[in-house]
Amino acid sequence: MAVAFRTGLFNIGAESQLLVGAVAAGAVGARFGFLPGPILFPIVLVAGIGAGAAWAAIAGYLKAARGVNEVITTIMQNYIVVFVIHWLLQNGPMTAPNALGTPASAPIGDGAVLPIIIPNELVPLTRLHAGIFLAILAVVVFWFVLWRTPLGYELRAVGLGARAAAQAGIDPRVHTVIAMAIAGGFAGLAGMIQVTGVFHRVFDGFSAGYGFDAIAVALLGKNSPIGVVLAALLFGAFARGGSIMQANAGVSAQLVSVIEAIVLFVIAAELIVRILARRRGPKPLEAIA
Amino acid sequence: MIHQHFMLVPPLSVAENVVLGDERGGPALDRRRIEDRVRELEKRFGIEVDPSARIEDIPLGLQQRVEILKVLYRGSELLIFDEPTAVLTPLEVDELFEIVRTLRDEGKTLILITHKLREVMAVTDRITVLRGGQNAGELVTRNTNPGEIARAMVGRDLKELKARATPPRTEVVLAVRGLEARSDRGSPALRGVDFEVRAGEILGVAGVGGNGQSELAQCILGLRRPSAGAIRIGDVDISKDDPKRTRARGVAYVPEDRHLEGLVLAFTVADDFILGKQDHAPFARHGVLDPVTILRNGGRLAAEYDVRPPNPRAIVANLSGGNQQKVVLGRELSERPKLIVVSQPTRGLDIAATEYVHERLLEQRGQGAAILLVSSELDEIRALSDRIAVLFEGRIVATLDAASATEERLGLLMAGHSEAA
Amino acid sequence: MTWEQLIGAGVLAAMLRLATPIALAALGGVIAERSGVVNIALEGCMLVGAFFGVVAADRTHSVVLALAVAMAAGAVLAGVHAVAAIHLRSDQIVSGMALNILALGLTSFLDYQFYGNTGTPADLAAVPDVEIAPLAAVPFIGDVIGHQNTIVWLTVVLVVLIQVFLFRTVPGLRLRAVGEHPRAAETVGIGVRRTRYWAVLASGLLAALGGAYLSLSVAHSFTDGMTGGRGFIGLAAMIFGRWTPIGALVASLVFGYGTALSFSLQGASIGDVRVPVQLLSTLPYVLTILAVAGFVGRSRPPASDGIPYETEGH
Repeated sequence: MAVAFRTGLFNIGAESQLLVGAVAAGAVGARFGFLPGPILFPIVLVAGIGAGAAWAAIAGYLKAARGVNEVITTIMQNYIVVFVIHWLLQNGPMTAPNALGTPASAPIGDGAVLPIIIPNELVPLTRLHAGIFLAILAVVVFWFVLWRTPLGYELRAVGLGARAAAQAGIDPRVHTVIAMAIAGGFAGLAGMIQVTGVFHRVFDGFSAGYGFDAIAVALLGKNSPIGVVLAALLFGAFARGGSIMQANAGVSAQLVSVIEAIVLFVIAAELIVRILARRRGPKPLEAIA
Repeated sequence: MIHQHFMLVPPLSVAENVVLGDERGGPALDRRRIEDRVRELEKRFGIEVDPSARIEDIPLGLQQRVEILKVLYRGSELLIFDEPTAVLTPLEVDELFEIVRTLRDEGKTLILITHKLREVMAVTDRITVLRGGQNAGELVTRNTNPGEIARAMVGRDLKELKARATPPRTEVVLAVRGLEARSDRGSPALRGVDFEVRAGEILGVAGVGGNGQSELAQCILGLRRPSAGAIRIGDVDISKDDPKRTRARGVAYVPEDRHLEGLVLAFTVADDFILGKQDHAPFARHGVLDPVTILRNGGRLAAEYDVRPPNPRAIVANLSGGNQQKVVLGRELSERPKLIVVSQPTRGLDIAATEYVHERLLEQRGQGAAILLVSSELDEIRALSDRIAVLFEGRIVATLDAASATEERLGLLMAGHSEAA
Repeated sequence: MTWEQLIGAGVLAAMLRLATPIALAALGGVIAERSGVVNIALEGCMLVGAFFGVVAADRTHSVVLALAVAMAAGAVLAGVHAVAAIHLRSDQIVSGMALNILALGLTSFLDYQFYGNTGTPADLAAVPDVEIAPLAAVPFIGDVIGHQNTIVWLTVVLVVLIQVFLFRTVPGLRLRAVGEHPRAAETVGIGVRRTRYWAVLASGLLAALGGAYLSLSVAHSFTDGMTGGRGFIGLAAMIFGRWTPIGALVASLVFGYGTALSFSLQGASIGDVRVPVQLLSTLPYVLTILAVAGFVGRSRPPASDGIPYETEGH
């Protein structure tokens, strides 16, 4: 199963970072599509991560400098991104003719496309692509940064005891921005993986709303292929999200949002699982449990 | 009850605050009528405040009158004042006492809770001294004197001073000049503080809590930006440095609240031992932490500072208060600091742990560290300090040699009874 | 681009229509925050109001009942927030956000259960417009306010009523005291928790009315997530309006105007350049961030806004 979505769990309510990462990856991937893979792919990767990180850092800055709760900021950012994507794809610089029946960007260069490892015909509804390696790598990098570097130590210290960290010379504000940027970078990576691995372009309705809106809508939606893919991704997220959530605790706590995220996550997860269970009969629920 | 922290709603008017909760009349809010009612009350007790002014626009002295009006409006016969002069200027204090006397003459009963002797002598008829939650003496004001009250306040159980082998050296480590700072609430907390601490010397800072002690420690560490003045370590002014740079100059800090400030409670002992040292050798090399060294360091310090259990993997939150403080000491003292700022180091600790902390501090002194010891425990201050500075309302009102600092003198100074007066 | 597209009667009428739900959410925000509770579940309250209003309209064919059910649904959701925020003293942002997601999931799910793929019925009982006969004929003014929806007018009335309530009545005085300095209020015998409960419930009622307006007066249907962040924009309007009902109304009109503009400028161009309408649509959200961050229209919130109140000694 594809695990790209897992990183999206980093900061609930910050789906826009994923979108920004996707758009950046899509834009760069299409613009420099003529480049060969070994050059193009790293550029697309950096674009996706960097865009997500920068976008998230705004929320981090506003929290650190102005005391604005990042939940509110990121939700507003979600709306902004959705409209900006509308613009980009409908009558902005990324508009491109296509046969999808919905506004979309030009496809990214072949060099940036992640190869599919297990084709759909083999195991239905999975379409496992090489993004899984990126996702695993991301998790490893994340673990390493958090537990094996001074920066990770500082992030954990700020998250678990901001005042103790402050008197020891670790500035909580700076680290809030850094933590947010890291989280955004991972979300951006997730978006980038979705573009390079699944869709190969950015299209309107890539995500329809904020937070879990897109997922809920897609799941409940009209059994569209995308909805099913998202559902599959989500199941992947649930099934394997546990370990990530744990590793996550440090960084997210440090935004004080860990608890927020988990609470929201648990509630949302329960809800969506219940919805799915109702639609598909009781079996999936048991399977998950 | 007239609270020390006013129970007033800042954006509302004086009259609205007075009648709040007991508005009398229909649901409609008739501002003119309530203002008239308050004006009437003011006339009766000789208290002057503009009923239509907003609380946030009037000075603290007037706000206090509103508090008094609130109580009178409700027809109370007993008025309790909790540290009523804490936020007042001297002139406002005199005006308050004028009102207090009027109320007494009107037949009201008044209780004044304060730690300032001048006030007790100025307006009371009878005095009860509380010490450690117990009644430590009842006195009649006109038959007593400040010295007697102070003795009752601090008690008489004088402890023997430990003889100090080595005199302090001459080298000044910390020099504070004209230091001013504001509290979190924006009021002046330090109003021109001067002192110095020499190598191998413990300077005790005595005072009733809330007279600027916390702010003083925070300013030196760089956690609070002073509004004026200089803080010099050797020849370098560090008053604008952040904690990281301050610490790099050899300053250690044992904070007042070890749970919130001293330790990351959810960390292991080993991790807490390297707090603030995580980004350089030997704990980090080339941007990567060295878990083996961190753990070994944790085990060594835990043994050296007698942390029980001596397990570097133990979670700090699970340790007793004394052992937590040992973790703080181990981290702060193990790198031979030049200056140690220590704040309430034994608060909440048992006797054994207290003695341990004292021994460690004296040991540092013997090794030539300059120590600034902030404590509200007079016994502790007197047992450890070479000199004692008394902080009162953001100023150092006197600096005494330990030998001449009797509890009675300290008690008087801490209560704002300056020696000259 | 023409003047008609900028300030024509059509745009101004749309401004009123679009401002109404925002203003109702903002009013809810004003009441809750004046009492000291941050209620970002307003978005969710609107959504359940929109949905259950539609369900009730479909089942009962009565507009009055539909609005009552809608508001009750909003009050129930707000009630959960009140318990979490006041009684359990949980983080008000977390609780509010969780309820927003709950509302979103619940309404999407029930919408599918009740109406499946076909969408909500087309023949829903609708909240009628008010025709002001003498005005309707007047050019321009008639086009702007001659036939607005009942709820638009109701909103104007509510703004005035709540303004009077807050600043000209004893209960309003007490509510403000609770939001500014709950301890002071408590010491003079005002029930802090009780006051806050009522305020949060009222905020749910108002936001739900705003949601019902969207589904029963404007769209005549329900779609998933149809409130589109208006609850949050309402909070921004509340901040711009300095926590006063009239100020919130004015701010809502500004937001409404911005949105109306983005509609009327669809396809418009300045010279050869087409106006990027979608970018205009982001304006309310950008403004909301700036408002919350205090960069624009900074003013002081009630002093104890968002801080759980603990009785002494507990």
